[in-house]
Amino acid sequence: MKQIMIHPERCVGCMQCMAACAAAHSRSGHLFAATLESPLPKPRIHVGSGLWEEGFPNRCRHCDPAPCLFACLPGAIFRDEKTNTVRVDPDRCINCASCAMACPFGVIRYHAVPFRGGKKVVAVKCDNCIERQGRGEIPACVEVCKSGALTFEESGEAMKRKTDAVSRSVSAGAEGTELPEGFSLLRAIKKARLQLQERR
Amino acid sequence: MSRKEENRTITKDGQLLLEKAHRDGVVTAWDRHEAQQPHCGYCEMGLSCRICVMGPCRIDPFKEGPQVGVCGADADIIVARNLGRMIAAGAASHSDHGRDLVEVLENVALGKGEGYGIKDEAKLKKVAAEYGISAEGKDVRMIAGELAHAMQEDYGTRKKALTLISRAPEKRRDIWKKLGIVPRGIDRETSEMMHRTHMGVDNDWVSILLHAMRNALSDGWGGSLIASEVSDILFGTPQPKPTSANVGVLKEDQVNIIVHGHNPVVSEMVLLAAGSDALLDLAVEKGAKGINVAGVCCTGNELLMRHGVPMAGNHLTTELVLATGAVEMMIVDYQCIMPSLGTVASCYHTKMISTSDKAKFPGMEHREFYPDNAREMAQTLVKEAVENYGRRGEIYLPVAPVDAVGGFSVEAILGALGGTPGPLLDAIKAGKIRGAAGVVGCNNPKIKQDYGHVTLIRRLIENDILVVDTGCAAVATAKAGLKTAEAARFAGPGLQEICGALKIPPVLHMGSCVDNVRILVLASALADALGTDISDLPIAGAAPEWYSEKAAAIGTYFVASGVYTVLGPMPPITGSMNVVKLLTQGLNDVVGATFAVEPDPEKAAVLIRRHIEVKREKLGLSSVKV
Repeated sequence: MKQIMIHPERCVGCMQCMAACAAAHSRSGHLFAATLESPLPKPRIHVGSGLWEEGFPNRCRHCDPAPCLFACLPGAIFRDEKTNTVRVDPDRCINCASCAMACPFGVIRYHAVPFRGGKKVVAVKCDNCIERQGRGEIPACVEVCKSGALTFEESGEAMKRKTDAVSRSVSAGAEGTELPEGFSLLRAIKKARLQLQERR
Repeated sequence: MSRKEENRTITKDGQLLLEKAHRDGVVTAWDRHEAQQPHCGYCEMGLSCRICVMGPCRIDPFKEGPQVGVCGADADIIVARNLGRMIAAGAASHSDHGRDLVEVLENVALGKGEGYGIKDEAKLKKVAAEYGISAEGKDVRMIAGELAHAMQEDYGTRKKALTLISRAPEKRRDIWKKLGIVPRGIDRETSEMMHRTHMGVDNDWVSILLHAMRNALSDGWGGSLIASEVSDILFGTPQPKPTSANVGVLKEDQVNIIVHGHNPVVSEMVLLAAGSDALLDLAVEKGAKGINVAGVCCTGNELLMRHGVPMAGNHLTTELVLATGAVEMMIVDYQCIMPSLGTVASCYHTKMISTSDKAKFPGMEHREFYPDNAREMAQTLVKEAVENYGRRGEIYLPVAPVDAVGGFSVEAILGALGGTPGPLLDAIKAGKIRGAAGVVGCNNPKIKQDYGHVTLIRRLIENDILVVDTGCAAVATAKAGLKTAEAARFAGPGLQEICGALKIPPVLHMGSCVDNVRILVLASALADALGTDISDLPIAGAAPEWYSEKAAAIGTYFVASGVYTVLGPMPPITGSMNVVKLLTQGLNDVVGATFAVEPDPEKAAVLIRRHIEVKREKLGLSSVKV
């Protein structure tokens, strides 16, 4: 089964995944129209800023066992076994925040979503774009990520790639980083600059 | 004081006012910078292109995603086009500022523009002569009119070369000729850059960058130079004057008016109005002891250079100064005026006034200045500022101002040397002064405020390198107390001796950011005196905390004029290592100078010292290994 994989070293911090996620979970499904909707659709993936101001796309890991699922008293959180997706039933959700307290990754948010012709504030989180997958599309965040920080693939394949990359890095005569020169240069300069802030 | 404030600025007034701003619920550039993290890597690397609507496009730096835009432009082309447009915007800004001054000059010639006049007749005649305008039998107004028209020709398309490049050493002009980058028309080069970077025009990244140099030269030897020269003609050529700096220059018991922006056309009139007896009487009537005009940013530097008007701060202080609650009115013209200022001012009694037809801001009252109405409008505004004094609430002025000396125009420096650059060259030849550095540019929340400027400059003067500075860099060192004759004690023994003999500070304030051209003119005078090129001199430039497009243009005209220039923040070019290598290495074979990027001012100082010693060695002067 294909899953969304994250490769943090490749995140350029452009936040396109966030915009695409919100649009994919809007009523219109299109970015521009989505920005005019009420309630405004919101992303379920969140790009954070690391120690050196590098990006990191933080999203639900769909843990198994999932702490949020166990913490959910009304039983609104359930697992879709077919896609291994932890989901929220907005009908049952009582907006109590127990799931967010239990979540180790801080990826559950509470805001209004369209609900039975009106709106309701409920727990909102990544649903692996189940609807899009049903139409034969890949998750929206992966689709827009041009730097390869997010991929949608069999975990075995990704593991193999990583294993090979590590193996190559310990080969005799291997040349350090695989990151492109310009990207490494930018990161090095940013890191040097940020370390200066702490200098007394 | 929390760690956070200390990490944001080295200035005491800045730290204390940041704390106050936080208490008052004022959001600053530092907060907004934090909220923007992480910045988009495509944009940081120059790899996103928004030039046409087949796009927008971006190039995957990891080589898996798209490597070309819809039009087929690769990373090199996209990075070069973006940088070219950045420089074009910078050149356009300075040059448009210059154009406004030429317009005032023209108005003065026509007998319009009440309040303005010709302050420096000698300079008018000198510059007119450079334009081939004879002063014989003509009155001042007639010369002014002819000069204004000749300068307007420099903006157009009728010339093969800008008039004032004649001030550059011959060897330098030959290099430009050989490369085909002699600047022709000020507006032409900017316009051509916009054309070249349109989809489907110049798609050779080297050729785009060559034109970027030509475009920058049209600023450095054109728009900016005209701006500085006409400012001197209209308002006087700066001579050394005592002044002071930091928010402590605001007065507890006076009406405080802050001028912010760049063009002296507005601020000079405000200063004139603030000295009027009727308004001073009104101020006393309202319970104030006087009217205090202070500056932030470069229009402040313009007044400081010519009148010794004090500086309340530099770029990142512009929001904080309002948090003192002691500013009755802030009058802005254009450039570097954060659109957040209206919101900040709404927390206090400060009246915010915008004055230029081309620069309007949210939360500001727009009161347009023209040469014709400027004197009267300034009177009206100062009167309103005085009337606002009574609305003042609690004020917070937590520091005492620091003394400084400003006003070192090229004329003033040569004057201090006895009329020729000879004594300075002798000191350099003798090794008492190793060389000189021009430190310029802005503040940027990416670098702790003033840390880059002050650290770099202290290291340079400690090592007997004479520093000239402008713009926000100049305000940083004024605040840090490096701009008094006594500050010579921070300099190395050789520089200390020279400063003592000439009674000058080790760090000379040369003006606003358009005044960076004064540094070029001084460098040319040194090169001419030695019969050599600018790139042979033991000099360097630096912009440790730059942020703006204007700074990109300045850096580029420095390098294209032969001055090795060290930047603090990285420009958006790392998406193309070809562009990076050309700018940091390859240009040496082209124009005899390169850029370097080094955010750490301690290391930047080493780079500059090393460069200066290498140049000394090549000139056959004593040199040491750095």
